[in-house]
Amino acid sequence: MEKSLFRFIWQYSARQQMVILLITVLSYPVSYILLELPKLIVNDAIQGELFPREVLGFEFDQISYLVLLCFAFLGLVILSNGIKLVLNVYKGRLGERMLRRLRFELFQRVLRFRLPHFKKVSSGEIIPMITSEVEDVGGFIGEAVALPAYQGGMLAVQIGFIFMQDPLLGLAAISSYPMQAYIIPKLQKKVVLLSRQRVRNVRVIADKIGESITGVSEIHANDASAWHSADLSDRLYTNYKIRFKIFNWKYFIKFLNNFMNQLTPFLFYLIGGWLVIEGNLSIGALLAVIAAYKDLAGPWKELLAYYQMVADVDVKYQTVVENFDPPDIYPVARLVTDEPEPLSGALALKNVSVSGGAAGQEAFDVTVTVEPDQHLAVIGPDGSGRSEVLQLAAGLLGPTSGRVEIGGRNLETLSESVLGRQIAYVGPAVHVWTGTVRDNIFYGLRHRPLRPPERTGESKVDYARRLSEAQLTSNPQYDIEAEWEDLDALACADVDDLVEHALALIELTGLAADVFRMGLQATIDPESQPEFADAILAARRALADRVANDDRFSAMIELWQIDRFNNSASVAENLLFAAPADSSIGIDTLASDPDIEAALKESGLYARLLEIGQKIAETMVELFANISDDSGLLGDYSFITQDELPEFERILRAAKVGSGKGGLTPTDEQRLIGLAFKLIPARHRLGVLDDDMRGEIVAARATFHKRMDQAERRFVVFDRDRFVAPMTIEDNLLFGRPRVDRRDAREKIDKVIRALVEEMELRRPIIRAGLGFHVGVAGSRLSAGQRRRVALVRALMKNAPVTILDETATGNSDDDKALRKVIREQLDGRMLLFGASNLIVAEEFDHSIVMNQGRMTESASGDDNAE
Amino acid sequence: MTLDAEVDALRRVPLFRGIDATKLRLLAFISDRTHFAPGEELCRQGEEGDSAFIILEGEADIRVSTPDGEKTVARLGQHSIVGEIAILCDVPRTATVVAATEMDVLTVSKDDFLRLLKEFPDMSLEVMRTLAQRLERTTQDLAAQKASGAAA
Repeated sequence: MEKSLFRFIWQYSARQQMVILLITVLSYPVSYILLELPKLIVNDAIQGELFPREVLGFEFDQISYLVLLCFAFLGLVILSNGIKLVLNVYKGRLGERMLRRLRFELFQRVLRFRLPHFKKVSSGEIIPMITSEVEDVGGFIGEAVALPAYQGGMLAVQIGFIFMQDPLLGLAAISSYPMQAYIIPKLQKKVVLLSRQRVRNVRVIADKIGESITGVSEIHANDASAWHSADLSDRLYTNYKIRFKIFNWKYFIKFLNNFMNQLTPFLFYLIGGWLVIEGNLSIGALLAVIAAYKDLAGPWKELLAYYQMVADVDVKYQTVVENFDPPDIYPVARLVTDEPEPLSGALALKNVSVSGGAAGQEAFDVTVTVEPDQHLAVIGPDGSGRSEVLQLAAGLLGPTSGRVEIGGRNLETLSESVLGRQIAYVGPAVHVWTGTVRDNIFYGLRHRPLRPPERTGESKVDYARRLSEAQLTSNPQYDIEAEWEDLDALACADVDDLVEHALALIELTGLAADVFRMGLQATIDPESQPEFADAILAARRALADRVANDDRFSAMIELWQIDRFNNSASVAENLLFAAPADSSIGIDTLASDPDIEAALKESGLYARLLEIGQKIAETMVELFANISDDSGLLGDYSFITQDELPEFERILRAAKVGSGKGGLTPTDEQRLIGLAFKLIPARHRLGVLDDDMRGEIVAARATFHKRMDQAERRFVVFDRDRFVAPMTIEDNLLFGRPRVDRRDAREKIDKVIRALVEEMELRRPIIRAGLGFHVGVAGSRLSAGQRRRVALVRALMKNAPVTILDETATGNSDDDKALRKVIREQLDGRMLLFGASNLIVAEEFDHSIVMNQGRMTESASGDDNAE
Repeated sequence: MTLDAEVDALRRVPLFRGIDATKLRLLAFISDRTHFAPGEELCRQGEEGDSAFIILEGEADIRVSTPDGEKTVARLGQHSIVGEIAILCDVPRTATVVAATEMDVLTVSKDDFLRLLKEFPDMSLEVMRTLAQRLERTTQDLAAQKASGAAA
């Protein structure tokens, strides 16, 4: 990578820099004329004589001459500002493009780092380098060449002018330059050093903050927040100190510059004046030189500012770039080559050694051969070199000596398009990506964009633009919107086929029960999966039959019925008999929804609900007013949180005042109605809802539904014959609520649902729906066991000739044993390296090696034993 | 039946007799109300107990397992409390309680009850007073029994 900013700029933008310079130079005569024209207008057109004038063969009298000059002035104003606009946009665009190129290059370099390098760098440091630290570079690039060239040129012209007037005065004019040229870089160097320190310190701060977030549970568990606070506060102080020093130097340099610049006029007046008095210089010449000197100050100041900016930006560039140039970085070709040659033949480690930089991360002189259809157990405790050997075999780690080969080909020289597709690897620490279960399972098949989407019209044009921009900045031209799944790896005809394959593996690896549970809680779009929705409706009908015929079961559940109040559901649900299509609309926001409010008023329930809300608020305030907030009672049982209590006390006081001034505001009313909405009569038993009111609520459903028809599908009405999209699959199946006043109703109903789902062959489709489950940030919504199984399915999906598993399913539990059996059956006839710390695992394998302190101490083979 | 009716029922329970109405309302509000069909078990002998049951409506059989199998030893009606010892100390259930008819039961969980006691020390005093009275009565009964035993 280019070590110097200027070489980077020149290499990738020389032509554009020349364009900028050319436009800048061209703009000079325009702005010069623009400055001269007003003088001409005043002196020549307004105060001038000798009319009419002849311009370009046309005759002009005074007024029309004035009009001509003024329009010429207007034209030049437009031209000059137009040039500025074009120039600024051009510079800005160039800067952004160069920045994109730089950032991508840096990111690609991160991908090219060897694994051991990541033990030395942290994401907390890398992230600010790529994002914020290079930001200033982009702003500078547009000015990099044009500014010094233009201002330098101006300076040279002015100096030349002064020298032509008088060489002595010329010398005087530039007398301070050598001093400035000598002192300022020296001072600037101090600033540069400080800037470097500052950048490093900020990086450490970013890293510390990142680490605090990752380890926040440790901080709280150990009461270490004081320590971390002190640590960060100290870093912030260091930052302040450095910045303060930078300010001191920076402004001192500024002071010195200004001082020296104004020292020169002092010399002019002294020397020039003396020369004039002596008669060696005319007064006119002195005045001209002084005027020229004033013009000199502008460019000189610009150049000095530029110099300071260069120093600043260059140091930023260098402090970033030096971190991305480790000597052993992989060549780019390893990443970008797309030659998926099949790997076949035996895997051979020949006298391989590797050292990870620390004890326990090494392997010495390991020699082992694994046949293409062999299953080999690699046994050894953590720190024995087991993981290193497996990473060597996967091509993730390069050996410091020796060779790792598959079918005679050195892994070190193969590209990732071979290694990453022909070898499946699950390491001791698996990473699950933020996204859906499906994304994670298909992850191992997404190597290149394979099937681009159909683009027409606008999006086609936009895509073409995207491509050309990528080309201009050496970014890759992969299409993120394409389908990336490699169907050929599994010989699948289409993506559906692939999903079927994934479902089979999910079933085999014991992930099915979990994904099934995720599926029950998932929502689907009935329009895109009409058959599935119909099947769920059939199941719903079967369940309803069961409710009708089985008294014990029917006592557990209250089904949604359009003409009956559901005591186990909230008043809001009862009233709407519908769910908001947008799942982000909660029960709290419903009361303030204009459509709901209008429907309430229309059905005449508004006042009644307000009254109910008021009664609830009164009861809550009465019950919980004397409860301390640490008892937990308030949060668990009340409609109102501790913080809201005073607010509701105020609302109740206002309610007593009645309507009008000091009474309830519309917001207060919404809050009270919101309370009434949350009431679940069977649970809360406040006695505020009598049978008449229930009847009225049921009757009001018609009003609400009529209004919802107009409300642009914002609500989906509960209809027993239709799939309700905003409801989860489970709620759609049940189409009702477990009764809150029956013990364990939920569990008992769950059991029945499960049996029914099995019976109606809905299990598979529900698991399929579970693939859409969002696993949270880095899989945080999955358990550790689930994450590992997801990673295992991901590896098996690759259908690779070589599979390497480290610390996966290595326990003695029946589950793990069964999973091992599944893995071995799946990979029968293919190569498997199975890493485990558990010695018992070795007994299940025909071949095994044992690692101890980085050395291979034992190699056993079932065949050898038999001989 | 609403909260007020439940408070009424709670008030008839000796353990809660001295506690003022608002606190009983709170207790009722945070307790679960559950319906049981005949034959359904409220709790089982030997299990860990974590709640007391106040019968709002219906009747329940108390059954104890004996060497000859399970025997019904008592039948409890409206406003009785069962398993109240469980909400004060950790003991296994001493009997099985089975719904004899359709029942409405207020289930007071141990955690909630203890939280209330912590919140209102007055309530603890009342509970202590009731327990002390009960102890006193038991002692007197015992003394009377001994005396009558000696007389015989």
